[in-house]
Formats: sequence, C-alpha cells, structure tokens
Amino acid sequence: MEMNNDKAAMALKPAGHWERRLPLAIGMGLFLLPLLGIPVKTYLTLTIAGLAMGMLLFLVASGVSIIFGLMDVINFAHGALFTWGAYVGFSIFRLLNKWVDAESVLQNVGAFTIAVVAAMVVVAFLGVVLERVIVRRVYGSHLFQILITFGSTIVLVELIRVLWGPNDEVMPVPLRFQGNWDVMDVIVLRYPIVCILMGLAVYALIQLVLKRTKLGTIVRAGVEDLDMVQAMGHNIFLLLTGVFAVGAALAALGGLAMAMFTLQVYPDMGSTYLLFAFIVVIIGGLGSVTGSLVGALIVGLAYNYVAYLIPWAAAGVNILIMIVILLIRPTGLFPVGK
Amino acid sequence: MTTPTPVQIFRSEERRERYITGSFFLKIGLLALFILVPFLFPSFKSVDLAMKVILFATLVASFDILLGYTGILSFGHGMFFGIGAYSVAFLMGKYGSPSYVNLLFGVLIAAVIASFIALFISFLSLRVKAIFFAMITLAIAELAIVLATKLTGLTGGEDGISISMPGVFSVSFTLGKFAGVEITGRTVTYYLILLSCSALFLTMLRFTHSPLGRVLQAIRDNEARAEALGYKTFIFQSIAITFGCVMAAITGGLYAMWVGYVNPESSLGVMTIMLDVLLMVIIGGMGTLYGGIIGAGFVKVTQTFLPDLQDLAMTLFPQAEFMHHIFERWLLLFGILFILVVIFFPKGVMGSIRDYMARRSR
Amino acid sequence: MNEIVLAVEGVHTFIGRHHILQGVSFEATADNVTVLIGRNGAGKSTALRSIIGLLPTSEGRILHRGREIHKKKPYQIAREGIGFVPEHMGIFSNLTVEENMRVAMLVEDAATAHRLERTLAMFGDLRKFWTAKAGNLSGGQKQMLAIARAIVNDTSLLLVDEPSKGLAPIIIESLIDAINQIKEHSVVVLVEQNFHLASSVGDQYYILDDGTVVQKGVMEGLAGNQELKSRYLGISKAENPFGNEQ
Repeated sequence: MEMNNDKAAMALKPAGHWERRLPLAIGMGLFLLPLLGIPVKTYLTLTIAGLAMGMLLFLVASGVSIIFGLMDVINFAHGALFTWGAYVGFSIFRLLNKWVDAESVLQNVGAFTIAVVAAMVVVAFLGVVLERVIVRRVYGSHLFQILITFGSTIVLVELIRVLWGPNDEVMPVPLRFQGNWDVMDVIVLRYPIVCILMGLAVYALIQLVLKRTKLGTIVRAGVEDLDMVQAMGHNIFLLLTGVFAVGAALAALGGLAMAMFTLQVYPDMGSTYLLFAFIVVIIGGLGSVTGSLVGALIVGLAYNYVAYLIPWAAAGVNILIMIVILLIRPTGLFPVGK
Repeated sequence: MTTPTPVQIFRSEERRERYITGSFFLKIGLLALFILVPFLFPSFKSVDLAMKVILFATLVASFDILLGYTGILSFGHGMFFGIGAYSVAFLMGKYGSPSYVNLLFGVLIAAVIASFIALFISFLSLRVKAIFFAMITLAIAELAIVLATKLTGLTGGEDGISISMPGVFSVSFTLGKFAGVEITGRTVTYYLILLSCSALFLTMLRFTHSPLGRVLQAIRDNEARAEALGYKTFIFQSIAITFGCVMAAITGGLYAMWVGYVNPESSLGVMTIMLDVLLMVIIGGMGTLYGGIIGAGFVKVTQTFLPDLQDLAMTLFPQAEFMHHIFERWLLLFGILFILVVIFFPKGVMGSIRDYMARRSR
Repeated sequence: MNEIVLAVEGVHTFIGRHHILQGVSFEATADNVTVLIGRNGAGKSTALRSIIGLLPTSEGRILHRGREIHKKKPYQIAREGIGFVPEHMGIFSNLTVEENMRVAMLVEDAATAHRLERTLAMFGDLRKFWTAKAGNLSGGQKQMLAIARAIVNDTSLLLVDEPSKGLAPIIIESLIDAINQIKEHSVVVLVEQNFHLASSVGDQYYILDDGTVVQKGVMEGLAGNQELKSRYLGISKAENPFGNEQ
C-alpha cells in the first residue's frame, strides 16, 4: 500500500512569489473581510474569541504536526489525550475548590498551575505508554497506525467514562480568570486573553527549543531524515518517545484550557477538536509548528465569524477551507521541505 | 484455434476447481443455514441477529473492496450506508408512502446519489494521497451527521424517521403456518433482504475476480509499477470506490427496510456503524470478502449476547465491583479487542487461514 | 600484520523479498583504504547500510575490532566510532552548515573542537558558508559537508558511499585529496563506481557482483587488468577518460 510515499510527495517546490504571499493573503482576507458585515464592537469580540480558540487548537495541532513530521505517525488518539487533560484538570479544580473560588489571584493562579502541571504530567505518561506499547509496533504502516490509534481512543475515552462517569460536567474556573475588563467601552473577556497569551508563550517556547537548543536541532534534522540522525549516533527511540510525550502534554494543556473556555467537560469532547486539529494541520502543513499556529488562527477566526454570520455553516466552513487548500496547495501553507 | 495461453489455462482450471473444493460446500452450507434460520430459530432475537449479520457482512464486504482490494481507508462508509437508509426512509416515510415502487426508487436513488458523492470524493482525495483521504472522509462523515441532526426540517433531526413496509412485507401480513412457523411480513422481508444481499455479495465477488479486480490488486500492491505498466490508476480507483460506496448505500436501504427506523446516530454514526465495520473487517481479514461474514458474525453475536456475558461474570465474581463497571462499558472491551487484533492478528481469521493453506500447499 | 578493523563474514541481506547480499565477505585493515567496486545493483550500498545497521542482516556476522555489531542499532554502531556518508549525502537541507555539524558532534569537548578545526581547514568552503542553509550549497560542497560530519567525531572507521556521484571532475580531484588526508587517521571503506577515484585512493579492492565478492586484490594490480575491468566494471579501453592507467 503506497501510503508511505506521502512524505516524498510533499517535497518542496521552490517557493515562488505567489506562494510566499498566499498565507499573508489568506490572513488579511480573513481579518478584514468580515468587517464588511459585522459591527466593529462585535467584530472585536469575535476576533478575540477566534484568536483564543485558535490558540487552543494550536496546542493540540502542533503535537499532531510534529509527531507526523518527525515520526511519520498519524495519531488519532490525540483527541483522547486532549480529553484526559481536561478531566485531570477538572478533578484538580474540584479538589482545590477553595482556591478556585477564592478572591486571591495567588490562589487562583496556584490552582491553575497545579492543574496544568498535573494534566500535562499524567497525559505525558499516557503518551509514553501509548507510544511504547502500541504505536511502536505499527511504525511504517499508516493504515495500521490509524486503526490502532482509533482503537486506543475508544479505550481511553471509555476509561474516562469508567473513572469519571458518562455525563457532561460543568468545569470550574478560577474566579480571577472569569469576568471581563472594560477597555474603552468594549467588553473584553478575561479568559480568552489568557488563552491567547498562553498560546503565544507556548509557541515562543517551542520555537526557542527548536531553534536554539541542540535537542531542537536534532528534532528538526529528524523531521528531514530520521535514518541519518540515527546513523549519526543519536538514540532516536528516546527522541521519539520524548516527542510523543511532549505532543501529548500539549494536547492536555489544550484540553484543559478548552474546557475552561467552554465551561464544560464531556467524554466525547476530543473527537470534535481532533477533527479541527487535523484540518489545522492540513491547512498549515504537516511538520511545521508555524504552520500549525497560522492554520489554527485561520480556523478559529473563520469558525467564529461564520458562526455569527451564518450559524449553520460554521461547522462546514473549515472543511471547505481544508478542501480548497488540498486542491490548490496540498502540502499546506508552510510545507516542510525534504 | 491457437493453443490457450498459460493464463487462460490457469483461469479455466481455477473455474473448474471452484465448484468442487471443500470451501465451496462450506459456502453453500452457510447459505442454507441462513435460509433456514426463520424455521430453526424462530424467535425475534435470533432472526434479527441473523439479518443483522447478513446486512453487515455485505456492508463489510463493500468496505473491503475499498480497503482490502484497492488499499484505501475511508471513514465515510458509514455515511454511504446512512444515505441509503435515509433515501428509503424519505421515500417510504417522510416524503412518500409505503409502496413497492417507492421501495425500489428509494434504493435506486440511494445508488445514484451515492455514486455522485463517491465520484466527487474520489476526485477530491485521490489527488492528495491516502492519509489525507482518510481524514477527509472522516471530516465529511462527521459533517453529514451534523447536517442530519441540525437540518431537522429536512431530515427529521435527532428523532429520525420511522417507516413501515408495504403489502407483502408489512408487519400485519401473514401467509399462515408453514413447518410450524408463522410466515409473516417480517419473514418475507427477511428473505427479500437475504436474496438481495446474496446478489450484492455475488456481484462483489464477480467484481474482484474480474480483470478489473486484478488490476486493482496490482495497484494496491505497487501503485508506481501499475502506473508504469500503463494503467490509469486514478480511474480504476475511482471505479472501485464508487462501486463499493454504491453497494454500501444499497445495503443501507435494505437495513432501513428491516429496522424500520433511521436516525443520525444509528444510521450515520461513526462510532456506531464505522467502528463495527472496522472491527469486523479486521477480525474477518482484509482483502477477503468472506472475511466480512466471519467478522460480522463474531461481532454481532458478541454484541447480542453481551448482556448474558455480563450476568455470567456477575455470578462468577460477585465481589469484583470494578470489573462490573468495566463489563458495563462493553465499548471499552471492544476497543481493547480491536487493538489486540490489530497487533497480534492483523490478517484476521480469513487472512490467517489463507496463509496457512498457502504454507501447506508449498 | 595489520589489525583487522572491520570484518564482514558471509552476510546475507534482504530488502523486502529481494535477496541483495548473498554471502558477502571482506575485511578492512588499519592504515588502508578498502574499496568496494562493481556495477549498479551489485549490492555495494546495501553492504554499507548493513554495516551501519540501517538494514538488518539475515545471516552472517559483522565485526568491528573483533566485536560483533550486526545485531546492534545504528546509533550504537555509530557511537563505536563508525562514520557513515550515505549515497545521497543525507545532509539536512533546512539546517545551516553549523547546525548540521552540531547534530554530528556527539560530545562537545576540546578534542572535538580540535577535530572540527582540522576538518574546516580541509574543507574551506564550509567555514565560508558556516551560517548558510545546507540546502543552498553546491553538490560538491554538500559532499564535503557530509564527509565533515562523519569525521568530526573520534571516527576510526569511515564508510563512504559513492561520493563522486554527480560531481564534476575537478571536484573529484579535491575529494581525492580529502580522502588521502583522512586515511591518515581513519580506516576508510569506500564504495565507488568511478574507477579513477577508486584507484587514486584505494589500497585494496573487492569487486562485488550480484551480491557476492567475485574478485579481490591490491589496487595496483587491478589498474592494469583490462579483462577484470571490462567484465565487472564495464570499462572498455576506449572509454578511459583519464589515460593514466597503463
């Protein structure tokens, strides 16, 4: 089955004038077009919501993108890891409910930090188990990777139902993260801003690691030629497990943040966002972190604008964008050349 | 007349052998079993189980045409099944009334719509290689579910559509007793569907054994080489995809006839239909149409008798609370089973049998 | 008697269903450049890839300084001091020359820094294009980078696969100079189809054909042996472009 020629097929053509401008063109179009049909104040609110949603999608999508770029593995279980992150955070908040409901910024941030750390550690551990026990056996076959990670998703989600019960739950959010600021007569919700800042921080951190550390350099080299990296003396098995764990932890963070954004957790929340994540990765380009960011912002903004303008089309607009990208530029907006 | 080529000799020998080998009798036996089910096990549960097995076996076989023979994974098969079910439901229920003509039209329209969508999807996705195809089909399938649920006016939304069958097939029809069993509309429907599914299955068999089918296998094994040999792989793959999807749609229509009720969750659902199909095709064996029968049989029988299994577990281990919880979540067990089969048994039952036979004959 | 640094004994390697190496045996001794020559498809690249562990062997043994390595993973084999320059150079195009070298350097100590200096002295262009993206280098420069990466560590055995492929004759000359310098510190096993390069740096040769070694000997002996050359290397007297063999 020739699924494994995909990476060869994504070889970079020399980026022409037109191709370099494309991400910019889409970005500008997306930002400015809706102004035609939406009053300015609403536009700002929607934009912030869109950027926030985009940032959270970026967290999930970046993991999928790097895992595919480096390991050539399609990970359908990412959605389940996302959901686990949300639930672990949920339990921590329940446990620390005094801190969550308190007025003190310190306690709020403290609870949040503990929840984040716990979620990321637990899910990173799940990621390691997943990679070593299950995914490792199906390297080389995209078909079996899809099947096996699909099966793993079911197991992970059902475990959530066993441990936490099958119902939707309301997600507690620390007091200081709720509410809004009044900026020049515009109501700016606090939490989306937190998400945007968090997303930017994560992006900056990832870029820092990738570009400035030796480990990051090795990962970037591995995305191009994993065999060569191994032949140069690096233990890629540790590397792959590590990258998988990091991707999982990012998904967990995304899940926790998304639960706080939508104020609910439910066992199936992963599947919706996994779909979004794949759309983001296709739009942005497999293997590119910057691509994931740009793609995620596009998806987040598009979803919010369209949800306001034509509610029932919101679900479909991103699929439409994905189809358009696949037709005109299948490697995505920021392709990683080989 | 010139001497026959080696390939022709091989083919005619194959044809002759087909009717005398042991497996042929096995297949006949299986068919006979299905024919006799309403008489041997007349309870509603058993007949329903048998019907579901037959329907899913056909659906899985149509999925295998894509996966096992053309080498393409599509998450959209459940959607085509649902299209067929909804087509029949529309014509027989929401927008029409029960009649033989509508029944036939429902199925035909399903086939036509399915072929258009399938062609569109193949054009879209074969341009961009296999993994993207899988993701796109998943996205489109999810979209279909969302649309079916949200556009309540058009599709009946989450509540779905109920239909009743016309004339001979209706629940009230009765032909009196035969061999101690009441022949009702249900029974007649059973035989109609059995007949149709057998016909579909035979068509699929014919398809895979035809020259077209062989080209597909060549493409599956080595696409570049097939292209080099001059075959426009894209056209062959499109034909195969369309064929498989149309088969799925027709099966969906038949399903609607039997169950009498369609709604997004049960007829289009990824977690419901698609997961079952994947599990069945893996257990049964990819690339072997008959694998579908085994897979469907195993999964459906297990699902039906699972409550009894749970009771058994409860009585054997009354103290293990946690285990009870786990058994309740039968989907969890299925997921674990799925993973185990993919890891240790990727060829499935039929695949392993074929390997074994091949090794024995060497 | 020179130490046997690399011993390949009766190795069989399959790629998929294809039986590429059908019992290959050869040795590389210290202070020597061993050349594997032969036509396309003879199995030369497969032999190198089997040694570095990127391809699993189904039969036979490979020993490095007397220790078996054929069951080890590539990164373990590399850490024993075996450098590998693959057929397509394997440089990381999106990384700079500097980053390529950083990935190559397993430890960053004084000894490595010294070796790096020595390597850059040999390949001046790399220092010149230190911060340029490796993908923008010329073919010859990429080959230099690939070799530089493989020798910056404490490499006792260097495996080089067809370095002359696609390079202009004048670049090949500088390649010959480089390998002649390298062989002072490391044992080199070279796979080559270009006879001029092979005979300019090689001390002993093994001819591979159809997955086995069919001839071996000392390089000077091969240069004059027209019969062998035309049978296994497809070189006819008329084709010889350099005219410096007898």
